[in-house]
Amino acid sequence: MKRFTINIFLILFAANVLSETILLKGGLVHQGNGEVAKTKDILIADNRIVGVGKNLIIDGNTRVIEVNGLHVTPGLISPMSNLGIVEINSLDVTRDDESNILNAGFSIFNAFNPNSTGIPWNRSNGVTSAISTPSPSSFPIFGLGSYFVLDGSLEVKGLKDIAMYGRLGPSDGSRAETLAILESLLEAGSMLKNLTVDEILEMTLAEKLELQTEDIIALGKVVNDYMPFVLETNRAVDILQAISMKEKYSLNLVLASVEEAPMVLDQLKNSNTPVIIDPMDNIPNSFDELGSNLNLGKILDEAGIPIMFSTQRSHNYHLMRQGSGNAVAYGMSYETAIEGMTNTVARTFQLNNRGSIESGKFADIIVWDGDPLEPSSFPKIVMIEGKLHDLASRSSKLTERYTNTEDKPSSYKH
Amino acid sequence: MTYKLFLSFLLITLVGCSESFDIDVSFRSSDSTDQGIDNAFESTYVPMNSQPILFRSANIYDGLGNEFLNYDLLLSDGSIKEIGKSISAPGVMVVDAVNKWITPGIIDIHSHMGVYSAPGVSTSSDGNEATSPVTAEVWAEHSLWTQDPQFALALKGGVTTFHVLPGSANLFGGRGATFKNISQNTIQAMKFPGAPHSLKMACGENPKRVYGSRRQSPATRMGNMAGYRSAWIDAVEYADGMSETNEDRHPKRDLALDTLMGVLNGEILVQNHCYRADEMAMMIELSKEFDYKITAFHHAVEAYKIADLLADEGICAALWADWWGFKHEAYDMVQANVAIVDQARNGTGCAIVHSDDPVGIQHLNEEAAKAMAAGNRAGFNISKAHAMRWITSNPAKAAGILDQTGSIEVGKDADIVLWSGNPFSVYSRAEKVLIDGALAFDINDPKIQPITDFDLGIIQPEENRVQ
Repeated sequence: MKRFTINIFLILFAANVLSETILLKGGLVHQGNGEVAKTKDILIADNRIVGVGKNLIIDGNTRVIEVNGLHVTPGLISPMSNLGIVEINSLDVTRDDESNILNAGFSIFNAFNPNSTGIPWNRSNGVTSAISTPSPSSFPIFGLGSYFVLDGSLEVKGLKDIAMYGRLGPSDGSRAETLAILESLLEAGSMLKNLTVDEILEMTLAEKLELQTEDIIALGKVVNDYMPFVLETNRAVDILQAISMKEKYSLNLVLASVEEAPMVLDQLKNSNTPVIIDPMDNIPNSFDELGSNLNLGKILDEAGIPIMFSTQRSHNYHLMRQGSGNAVAYGMSYETAIEGMTNTVARTFQLNNRGSIESGKFADIIVWDGDPLEPSSFPKIVMIEGKLHDLASRSSKLTERYTNTEDKPSSYKH
Repeated sequence: MTYKLFLSFLLITLVGCSESFDIDVSFRSSDSTDQGIDNAFESTYVPMNSQPILFRSANIYDGLGNEFLNYDLLLSDGSIKEIGKSISAPGVMVVDAVNKWITPGIIDIHSHMGVYSAPGVSTSSDGNEATSPVTAEVWAEHSLWTQDPQFALALKGGVTTFHVLPGSANLFGGRGATFKNISQNTIQAMKFPGAPHSLKMACGENPKRVYGSRRQSPATRMGNMAGYRSAWIDAVEYADGMSETNEDRHPKRDLALDTLMGVLNGEILVQNHCYRADEMAMMIELSKEFDYKITAFHHAVEAYKIADLLADEGICAALWADWWGFKHEAYDMVQANVAIVDQARNGTGCAIVHSDDPVGIQHLNEEAAKAMAAGNRAGFNISKAHAMRWITSNPAKAAGILDQTGSIEVGKDADIVLWSGNPFSVYSRAEKVLIDGALAFDINDPKIQPITDFDLGIIQPEENRVQ
């Protein structure tokens, strides 16, 4: 097995240098589009997938990488992460995920650090791109998430401010108040149809909520331009409140967490709202989540609701694989699980040309050493936009150092 | 220094060279005294009624590193009676276990279930007596809420025994206790019979943050060390006083010093929250200064950096498979941590996969699978049968209950899990969980799926959280 890895890497780096077309040959390809995996070849030219199938026509310059029988998936996409904006949670000076001034309009985009150690770590575990979001605050809307390609390039590749994030749940005050504030914020955005930002800023409502120009512009995008609005909520009756809000303001609503969704399944289904779930979180953490259960994924899947995955394990966004594996163990379909980590995210957040292994898409591809839903599996090949990345991270370097048996201080083992 | 303490110092030194942790367990019980530690709050646990049961043609990981394919397993009177091929047991209930797997009941050495119960609201936050850096006087079991719905969820994940610790705000957080995973109406009725108490100690960021932010000691790591040493000086003096034959000369009884004396006497096991390698080495030195034994380091993200030292000292490391980044001292995570600790000194290291988390405790088999796979990618050759030790016999050893549970051996408590498939696969589920031979959970029988009082009538439309 060791030798196999080495061979692959020799080929990989040669391929990189020459910038040739690459053929990933003989993999068991999960395209991410909901179809059952089949043995197919994938042809990559520059940064794109240019062919998927059998007997693809290649020329003499095509580097063939044999991946016989190995599972191949699109690069995983986290719909809700802190990648690049939080280095160490307990150290505020390493965090850029909170604002003291803005709420709905708080953008983390310019704070993104491609050198954050979480990026190579998650990439080497199969996450090739992610939406990073502000962290929850006491205000019901905490800002805008941006999409980032995790290739580590200092010329940040991504999509700025693609979705707004908020939460409806238990608080020190009444959630009636939270709902009223949410409604006021959406109203403020709605007013942009008839008023200028300055006119809205002068209103009592804007003053009371301490809204800034950026907040109103962002709210306008959610209400008037169909920007996705991700609302984290759990209690069954709150899910219904969110659905009413969606209908009233024609929102592009995405619901996150939704632990009590099975109680309002029909309404959720009829509202055509995609969801983001943590399939392993079956703990009734609050009185909002009493109906929490491991069969959530199965129930949502059977209702045909589009599902994506989050994970509570900070810094390990790749663990959505373990989460979706558990969802499958409890009855979700395998294809829904793969799609939920890839194409469903791309579709929901309009990440054009990502999320599936199809001609024309960016070549964000992972080759796995086992079933991608088994937590014990690990990538063998990580490709982002046609470029092969090695699997090095701080973690892999520390592992090498501390499995090196040379007799000298560890600081000289490198 | 008394003669007794000097003797234990010698023994610890010997144990350190012997690579055998088991020797130290026997040392501990032989050295116990009748002074100081009372028998208050003893276990009143009584196993549920059980019938003899024969699992036919199972694949078995015994929790000691062995794998038995297509074996029978007979349980009766709450104990493991026989492991073998084609066991004959007329009239006994037979469970067809073809293509299924049996393991010992999973054990979590680091849980806060019952002291940080669900829902996680202020009224159920009972795990940290964060009022003083030394609170060795508090006992986690006195906080336990017997109706915590998390117990049943852990049971569904195959957990038959768990050790509940106080939190890590304090240098000395108090005593931990071990429980059988059967929710009962009293705390004592859940306590694992005969299991020793532990003492929770904590290194690093937590104590210095909690007390430093209040402008009191400890505010630094050196303050942490001074705090431990001061307390141990008091404990040694107290233990000396309590060992006087003339009882009139005993010092006034002190709950905190009782606990520390219990550690010095070897009756209470030290479970030490400690992330950084240099701090763990410092804690080992501290244990030598005051002649006590550290049983396990918990959350030891950097254990791999001192794996040989831990193996030499016979100290276990209780670890996550991959948590990191939430604190500075959790920055140097390697997924091979468990494996490197395990493989140290020719495989004599004691590695444990722990949860510290009500979700993680339900999936310790998956966490062990990740740790094993990472170890094998790092060049080790660790079998599944061996990795099963990390969530069974090793935590049993660290909890001081290996004589009763933690492996499938004749005579031990019949704490058993029947898995639908190989337990290292995410797709396998615990089908039956037995505690002392009694069926505590059955995936196919709602009557054998516990529902706590809290859950009853509160969940709509279904009432069974573990379904």
